[in-house]
Amino acid sequence: MNEWLDRHMGRLFLAPAVTLILIFSIFPLIASLIMAFTRIRFSAGGYKVRFVGWRNFEKQFFGSEQFHLVGTFTQISVLGWIVGLSASAALLWWIWKYIRGPFTWVGFIGRLITLGMGLGLTWLFAATFFSGNQFGTIGTTLFYVLIGCAIQFLIGTALAFACSQSIRGKTAFRVIFFVPMMITPIGVGYIFRMMADTTKGPFSEVWQWVGLGNFAWATDPWAARTFIVIAESWQWIPFVFIMMLAAFESVPRDYTEAAELDGAGPWQSFKEITWPHVLPIAATVMLIRAIEAFKIVDLPNIMTSGGPGIATESVSLQSYYAWRSLDLGSASAIAYILLFITVVICVSFFNLVVLARIRKQQ
Amino acid sequence: MSTPIRKPGIFESPRIGEMSRATKVVLYAFLLIWSLIVLFPIYWLIITSFKDAADVNQGPFFIPWVDFQPSLHAWKELFVTDYEDTLRAYLNSIIISLSATALSVLIGSMAAYALSRVEYAPNLITILFFVFLLAMTGLAVGLYGVDWRLAAAVAVALFFFLARAVGNLYQVRLKNGDILFWIISQRILAPIVVVVPIYMMFQSVKLLDTHIAIIITYAVVNMPIVVWLMYDFFNSIPRDLEESAQLDGATMIATFREIVLPLSRTGLAATTLLVMILSWNEYLLALFLSTSKAQTMPILVAAMNAGERGILWWTMSVAIIVMIIPVVVLAVVLQKYISKGLLVGAVKG
Amino acid sequence: MIRKILGGTAIAAAALTAAPAMADGHYDGVTVNILTRPGPVIAGRMVERAEEFKAMTGAEVRVAEVPFAELFQKILTDWATGTNSIDVGVFASGWGVELVNGDLVENLDPYLAADDKIDLDDIAPYFRDFNQKVAGSTYFITLDGDFQMMYYRRDILEANGLEPPNTWDEYLDIASKINGQDMNGDGEPDYGSCIFKKRNAQSYFVIQSVAASMVQSKGTSEGIYFDPETMKPKINNAAWKRAFELYKATGEFGPADELNQDIGDTRGLVVGGRCGLMVDWGDIGPLSIEEGSMINDKVGAIIMPGSTEVLDTATGELVQCNAETCPYAENGLNYAPFAAFGGWTAAVSKSSDDQVKQAAYDFLSYMNQAAQSNIDVTMGWTGYNPYRNSQLEDTSAWIEAGFTEEAAENYLGAIKKSLNHPNMASDFRIPGAQQYTGVVLDRELARYLADEITVEQALANIEEGWEEITDDFGREDQAAIYSLSLGITN
Repeated sequence: MNEWLDRHMGRLFLAPAVTLILIFSIFPLIASLIMAFTRIRFSAGGYKVRFVGWRNFEKQFFGSEQFHLVGTFTQISVLGWIVGLSASAALLWWIWKYIRGPFTWVGFIGRLITLGMGLGLTWLFAATFFSGNQFGTIGTTLFYVLIGCAIQFLIGTALAFACSQSIRGKTAFRVIFFVPMMITPIGVGYIFRMMADTTKGPFSEVWQWVGLGNFAWATDPWAARTFIVIAESWQWIPFVFIMMLAAFESVPRDYTEAAELDGAGPWQSFKEITWPHVLPIAATVMLIRAIEAFKIVDLPNIMTSGGPGIATESVSLQSYYAWRSLDLGSASAIAYILLFITVVICVSFFNLVVLARIRKQQ
Repeated sequence: MSTPIRKPGIFESPRIGEMSRATKVVLYAFLLIWSLIVLFPIYWLIITSFKDAADVNQGPFFIPWVDFQPSLHAWKELFVTDYEDTLRAYLNSIIISLSATALSVLIGSMAAYALSRVEYAPNLITILFFVFLLAMTGLAVGLYGVDWRLAAAVAVALFFFLARAVGNLYQVRLKNGDILFWIISQRILAPIVVVVPIYMMFQSVKLLDTHIAIIITYAVVNMPIVVWLMYDFFNSIPRDLEESAQLDGATMIATFREIVLPLSRTGLAATTLLVMILSWNEYLLALFLSTSKAQTMPILVAAMNAGERGILWWTMSVAIIVMIIPVVVLAVVLQKYISKGLLVGAVKG
Repeated sequence: MIRKILGGTAIAAAALTAAPAMADGHYDGVTVNILTRPGPVIAGRMVERAEEFKAMTGAEVRVAEVPFAELFQKILTDWATGTNSIDVGVFASGWGVELVNGDLVENLDPYLAADDKIDLDDIAPYFRDFNQKVAGSTYFITLDGDFQMMYYRRDILEANGLEPPNTWDEYLDIASKINGQDMNGDGEPDYGSCIFKKRNAQSYFVIQSVAASMVQSKGTSEGIYFDPETMKPKINNAAWKRAFELYKATGEFGPADELNQDIGDTRGLVVGGRCGLMVDWGDIGPLSIEEGSMINDKVGAIIMPGSTEVLDTATGELVQCNAETCPYAENGLNYAPFAAFGGWTAAVSKSSDDQVKQAAYDFLSYMNQAAQSNIDVTMGWTGYNPYRNSQLEDTSAWIEAGFTEEAAENYLGAIKKSLNHPNMASDFRIPGAQQYTGVVLDRELARYLADEITVEQALANIEEGWEEITDDFGREDQAAIYSLSLGITN
């Protein structure tokens, strides 16, 4: 018995994790996929399931919910054509370059999927945002991910770099900067609703002073989206900060000192030594942030309930609202669309940016 | 000692390893401004918890005793009038987040350790076959009402009989890196994708609205983070000690418990803190899986938005504050580990 | 006294159930789990009454709360999947049909038959039917009677020499005249009209209140949503279009961030004396006399504004009111007070233990009985609005609570007028009610208010969305239940 245990110990160590993930992650994933093709109704003794084929997906992409998920389409404007065509050209050139370079089928197919997603999103934005139409929850989610992550990266990295210098009160700053991450997202949502109140909030005088006393951020789509990004950034900058701080502190001091001895200025030593050292970590950190940001649901739900109109609704929130009205089929279909987009974008980013950097360094 | 020949600019230090005065001013200004940005909303939260309705609605008021008369009514409401609800939610939150974190860190670091020390080469086809059987079992139980024990038994039997045969068709073997990537990639799943089936699963075994359901779910959801951080951490630990222990006849489990875990204190502390924060603050899954008995603090906070009477800002602030306190205490205690612990994991990417 | 009442109920009920339950403390060890929305509204008073009930009977009544928007799904999934962590659900009366349809709710007829204290006849006929019965049998016990009314600031209107509005045009006119005046003496300009407009909140009730007087003119049984035969939505027409436009127009005289205001935010403004005109449920009356209110004895209530034009269902256009088109018109104005939400009602799970069911029923009956409810409805914070005739006839409880004689009569008068109106409009009462209004109607309304789409697009989208939901639930089934729900008249 003991001998058997010993022989299989390697597997037994891995087994619990794999089993749990299979049961609570893979199995629900499959079940969810099946549900996406059904309509489910609750009644005594459980639920009734009816298969409806692709109807749930059709409704989202082409039917009555099109405006909600992808956006409203009319004519593509001149600007839309310019943006769409130039971005498409850039994408095609990128794949052409790959075909001419060291070619593998796996790499090619992977890039084709990335290309498809890139083209789809390009034209989605070209036909909605750049043509003066409203985009749907996909556009809003991407806005949160791109702008939010950019802000978090810039400020978080700057803070981490500042904290990695030899300064006093490092510990205090480190703890203080970490605090927003410890607050439940629900709480952050409500705190920022208080902050953003133009009549009773702490900054109401400031609002009055700049002549926006009567301005209601929650009734303007872009202002509302911006506020949500600000709240989200406030909460997650600590994460970037703490990771990047670790990265900066891991840069061997000898290197930078040696560089300065050689007469390199601080900017040069940062550019030549420090930055290349932390770059792979930065890419990983941003990948993690992006993965989490795609799931955003609590903040828009608390701060605006997705309004005004559908301006601040994320894909996750749309799925959640569908679940709330017991439309489980649509909820699953929307969730799967989100999953697909997230996987393609994040895996592309991982393969093309993170791995590429690591390979280059080695 | 060689001195720089050029005359240093204002942002350059006169001596190596030291900052110029101007750099210092900019640096401290930046750090202080950001501290203000972080702390002001929290200050506002704290004073709101001592305000009453009029102070909030006719605001803004900034300084207690100067602008407004602080009162303890919101604290009383939560801790005297409604202490049962508050206490229950608080205890639930503590039990759930502690257990989920412990489970997640234990199982996750075991997996991470195994992946960093043992070579695996599972057959991809066997795995796909297994997933296929899982899907069929799910279909049979969920849609056609087959008894789940029967379905599971059939599936297990089929798997053991046919696994080898199917696996031999093609020999495509996965490596440790693939398994690692697969586990970490689970984090991409938005909870909303899987939450409805998870709800139904727990319902079918009558575990809805219990601690266990939420604990297991949180443990699984956070496991990818544990595996990711701990894998790199274990990789960075020198293997000599383990090897000599193994030569002395120690089993893997003994080595893990007595040598590896104590060596990875810092990594474990940082990971624990991170997972703890995530489980403590989680809302969506808790909302799905609890009804009344297992409600956690975030749900209590959300419940302070009492539609018809507006948001009860004061009691909500109290609830948020009492939610932050234990995490802050924990973070201060563990703070020296946070950076060090994450360091190793992060550096290796 | 109370002990005696309860004892009597229990003994009478004991004959029905196998449980040998007798004198005081006969529910020792019994726990009833109630799920409702977060307090203090609705839940708060229940918790207090639960303590009295425990002292009397020994039954432990536990009240759990989930956010309003999650409430119905929680109850439905809990009961349908047999989780049974809830014995009693307290929710909007309109949602209940779906539960009864799913065979999840205990039929309360036998319990009522054995209960001599509940005095059903005292409950206003509309609520007795709408809030408690499905297809002739009683499944719910109501705790609250809901419909919307219009409120106005008596002092402000008098100071400007204005009469309370009878139509929506008058409403807008008055709102524009008084908008910007200081109404609470703090030196700041206040608002002509306050009506909450937040998405995923309760604004979809107000839009129906606005539309009702233009859509329905032939009495309660006409309905405001569908053609009962074909289930074709009666939404894409001139009447709803006008209602959407009116609702949006009121925003011009309201707070800047009205689009993000839920009913609670609006009520804060109203009680703070910042609004000239407002639409709300019955709550404003009791709220106006609460401590800290700036509008005590300054607010008047009136039936929701009427309309001179009503919908011609054949053409989809608005036509002038006359004896034929508006049989219930007064002075040429068609009124249709909308029973928004219907009221908070309680249902008992079919799969709870018999003894728990009995204890649950006894508790609900206790809450509903005049001895308790006539006090509860006079308190604004409870969220309970009057639903018994004795609550409306007798002003003494209201005066005791702090109303002036005049204010009480004005308030109760408006309620009585609305409640006894033969053209009262019923809220949705078919399966999927939440999807029809809470999701589709609400979302399209929000998009229209946010200028994302035109009113025509909004109405066309709602029509399409409603047709889809109807098809999902089965057109014929829905038509049958809809007709049934319209059979209720005063």
